[in-house]
Amino acid sequence: MPVYSFYIFDRHAECIYKRLWQPRPTSLAGKASRSGSDLVGLGQTVRSTDDDAKLVFGTVFSLRNMVRKLGGEEDNFISYTTSQYKLHYYETPTNTKFVMLTDLKSPSMRIALQQIYINLFVEYVVKNPLSPTEHPGGVGVNNELFEESLEQFVTRVLS
Amino acid sequence: MSSTTKASRIGEEIWKTRVDKVNAELVTLTYGTIVAQLCQDYDSDYQEVNKQLDKMGYNIGMRLIEDFLAKSGVGRCANFRETADMIAKVRTSVIRNGYMSEQVGFKIFLNVTPTVTNWTSDNNQFSLIFDENPLADFVELPDDGRSQDELWFSNILCGVLRGSLEMVQVQIEAHFVSDVLRGDDTTEMRVSLVRYIEDEMPPEED
Repeated sequence: MPVYSFYIFDRHAECIYKRLWQPRPTSLAGKASRSGSDLVGLGQTVRSTDDDAKLVFGTVFSLRNMVRKLGGEEDNFISYTTSQYKLHYYETPTNTKFVMLTDLKSPSMRIALQQIYINLFVEYVVKNPLSPTEHPGGVGVNNELFEESLEQFVTRVLS
Repeated sequence: MSSTTKASRIGEEIWKTRVDKVNAELVTLTYGTIVAQLCQDYDSDYQEVNKQLDKMGYNIGMRLIEDFLAKSGVGRCANFRETADMIAKVRTSVIRNGYMSEQVGFKIFLNVTPTVTNWTSDNNQFSLIFDENPLADFVELPDDGRSQDELWFSNILCGVLRGSLEMVQVQIEAHFVSDVLRGDDTTEMRVSLVRYIEDEMPPEED
């Protein structure tokens, strides 16, 4: 069950962590940009991972707001699927957003994302007294304990 | 008052099963040492000590809220009243639109359940009354004629509340209005809602 990538966005809408595993199928890039925003030109084949993160954020942010407008304040979207990939989403009450892109066959990752928040993010990032409370540019999130545990979690538990 | 009973059940359950406990006297002595050191550092400028305690609490609160949410799994509070209950019972869970249940919060972290009371008619202010306060055990304020009027010994709690609620998009103002250490009958903290914080948008791109 391949996991393509994983992102964390903080409450300031900044991408504070991203991790890529499998190289995405080449067609995935085109798909992602189309679902993310029509403004991105189709001729754009090479995008940096920074651009990807921004597109992903824009997508989940708009989708979340739309879902709340239609389904009420308590509603949340869980995942969406394209013909190339599946995007899973989990948001904490503190507005930290966890996003994971996987292949189509994977089951819902909502619980997995919640586990990453509870067991990895809170334990190794938030509770680390020396890490800053805000993480501009990913400071404090990219520590060894967090990264290693995430790697283990994804490779062992999820596959 | 079903939200109140629900909040206290959450608080009780989490306190029993999921919280690592430490010796209360260790906490009291550690906290007391911090306050004493601050008083010394700022030359008994108690206003400044209050401010520093509040700031420390704020930084603690911003982290504590995550732990609270992770442990309790509660969602956002629908309104400020629910938040108040949650704070008191769990003291951790703040919620969107509103409030964290401070009651639950205090329970989880201090095993104290303050009473929520004295609501204003617009539901934007309430008081937390502490029957017991582990931070203040064994404490007697210095007898210099000023500390009893100026120092809020447990002021760190105001900061904790402010920091943790801010993380769930609720901006509040909190201050103590009475303290048994000063000879008052009760220890009371006044909490007022300032505003709900809007979602932040990503910066515009050129």
